[in-house]
Amino acid sequence: MAGSAPEGTQFDTRQFDQRLNEVLDGQDEFFTSYDEVHESFDAMGLQENLLRGIYAYGFEKPSAIQQRGIVPFCKGLDVIQQAQSGTGKTATFCSGVLQQLDYALLQCQALVLAPTRELAQQIEKVMRALGDYQGVKVHACVGGTSVREDQRILQAGVHVVVGTPGRVFDMLRRQSLRPDCIKMFVLDEADEMLSRGFKDQIYDIFQLLPPKIQVGVFSATMPPEALEITRKFMSKPVRILVKRDELTLEGIKQFYVNVEKEDWKLETLCDLYETLAITQSVIFVNTRRKVDWLTDKMRSRDHTVSATHGDMDQNTRDIIMREFRSGSSRVLITTDLLARGIDVQQVSLVINFDLPTQPENYLHRIGRSGRFGRKGVAINFVTLDDQRMLFDIQKFYNVVVEELPSNVADLL
Amino acid sequence: MTIECVNPEGLRFNQMKSSSHQTLETRMRPILMKGHERPLTFLRYNRNGDLLFSCAKDHTPTVWFADNGERLGTYRGHSGAVWCCDISRDSSRLITGSADQTAKLWDVKSGKELFTFKFGAPARSVDFSVGDHLAVITTDHFVGTSSAIHVKRIAEDPEDQVGDSVLVLQSPDGKKKINRAVWGPLNQTIVSGGEDAAIRIWDAETGKLLKQSDEEVGHKEAITSLCKAADDSHFLTGSHDKTAKLWDMRTLTLIKTYTTVVPVNAVAMSPLLNHVVLGGGQDASAVTTTDHRAGKFEAKFYDTILQEEIGGVKGHFGPINALAFSPDGKSFSSGGEDGYVRLHHFDSNYFNIKI
Repeated sequence: MAGSAPEGTQFDTRQFDQRLNEVLDGQDEFFTSYDEVHESFDAMGLQENLLRGIYAYGFEKPSAIQQRGIVPFCKGLDVIQQAQSGTGKTATFCSGVLQQLDYALLQCQALVLAPTRELAQQIEKVMRALGDYQGVKVHACVGGTSVREDQRILQAGVHVVVGTPGRVFDMLRRQSLRPDCIKMFVLDEADEMLSRGFKDQIYDIFQLLPPKIQVGVFSATMPPEALEITRKFMSKPVRILVKRDELTLEGIKQFYVNVEKEDWKLETLCDLYETLAITQSVIFVNTRRKVDWLTDKMRSRDHTVSATHGDMDQNTRDIIMREFRSGSSRVLITTDLLARGIDVQQVSLVINFDLPTQPENYLHRIGRSGRFGRKGVAINFVTLDDQRMLFDIQKFYNVVVEELPSNVADLL
Repeated sequence: MTIECVNPEGLRFNQMKSSSHQTLETRMRPILMKGHERPLTFLRYNRNGDLLFSCAKDHTPTVWFADNGERLGTYRGHSGAVWCCDISRDSSRLITGSADQTAKLWDVKSGKELFTFKFGAPARSVDFSVGDHLAVITTDHFVGTSSAIHVKRIAEDPEDQVGDSVLVLQSPDGKKKINRAVWGPLNQTIVSGGEDAAIRIWDAETGKLLKQSDEEVGHKEAITSLCKAADDSHFLTGSHDKTAKLWDMRTLTLIKTYTTVVPVNAVAMSPLLNHVVLGGGQDASAVTTTDHRAGKFEAKFYDTILQEEIGGVKGHFGPINALAFSPDGKSFSSGGEDGYVRLHHFDSNYFNIKI
């Protein structure tokens, strides 16, 4: 592929560590030290109605990232927070935002950006649930929906906007969303938001926000290039980082199947189909065209599957997502559109029909299973050309990917 | 010598080897009940055993047909996780306790919300008395409110229902949750267990503490669950100390202890055979960050008398949070952190287990 990095270097451990050290070394004056750990929500000094919302949600004890991450955000500090997939980052920044809102002021005071519409809608739901007793008004401002409806809601007044960059920028540009009172800016899946695809949009939005603003960036993966960019718009952030070789979730059992040739992947998937449908599974492929192709092939063999990708119209995407969440559909074929953040309770199996082209997305994809409190399984289809990449993934994230045993159904 | 006989669905029961070794003739395929979008918290059959009620963190208690696992309906009205429920003897009333700081009464058939009891703290456990005239409800501690046990009168006519408490029992340690409280024999006592690892028997009339479990033989860590025998003569408790214990309901004498290797989140007693079931697994917050093999999400069966493990039922991919036997003892259900309810109808091999 023209312009792509030479094979293997994307998972170069030495290069990654060297670049990370360059960003972090000698930068102690850029970061704020913050070492407090709070072992219960009661000990965090949160508002009573926020506590009510947290307990009503079903939380009982804070997770590791919540123990360290909620309080510095509540104090108005800039924060960089990294934690493994499915361990409570969303509730961390939602709590931090909800603690600092002025509920008597019906103006947008916090802006949360996410890379996909599905993820923005999911965050909005959590924010609304946690802030229920505080009377929070939160709106999901995403593309593919009615612009007029967004304008109407924003002009009526909300406390928090959770959105995707394109629509949010459009609303700011049209002055339907007024930035005057925005004092918190959150980037979820921050490394994706600061990557080539979104970076310019983020810059454009950031320039429209008030000069003094609290910034929080959150992700399970935080490569050095993303950290480097944060220096441009953050002020002495508190950082919580996880080493790359500690990022993977040991609760997700990882396997490979040696399919040898690309053409044999479909047959392998059909062989696994009965296993796929036991609970819920997500199958990742690398292109939208391939999603359509694989969906057609599976359906022509009488296998029930659903599919979603970025080219589909929003109404269809919403229906697919709702059906998958409720369990009406069991097997979902998609691109990296759903690699990040999406939390569906009964997903216990992820299949990498294609290995990801972006290294971080390996972690994100398999993190769709093995969510908080649940084990998961990930299966990688490996062609002869993929073997080097699989080896590099294992080395980079310090994981063992075993050959798929015949009794995989027992593991689900 | 015993051998392990494993069938494809993961059910495993020990059997005596003999020349007339009996093979498993039928398959005990569990019914997977999908409907909850968040972790299960509690399961309860109605008295007749034809309905199974489930509670989860997704706000909507659900009722299922207990023979085939089909969903019959949901109860919509809570705005928080639902921790517990109970059904009246005639299956007409449902009571639910929720983290939204309320307990609600429902008409089982129509799903209509009949009354809301409001507390200043999450409602954790609910239990109807024999005769259904009273309910005991526990509440957690919350911002200046200590954990407590409340007794409410349940009116026959919903129009007459009031929220006042007949009795409120304060926990000795107000910051420890009372995870479960149930009625004792003839509604004369209330039995409670919670985070302070102590089991207490209270006089339901005066509120006086009558008995407390002996620290030496009692649980060492939080009590998570409690299940009464059908005749109210004894009860079983599960604990984070990786044991379940069988107690005499009147004297609070420890009868038996069942030891496992993971925290116990749920316990159940067979109404038919001398079997108890333990379910649990490692703490939910540690599941994804520790090795796959550490989960141990099986429901474990023990012989009540011999205290020996006789088998296990696999299937959940998250800790088991709820267990219940059907009243006829011929099936049981488990609910997990994975959001699934699994319904198992026993086959004849289960009833012929010999040790």
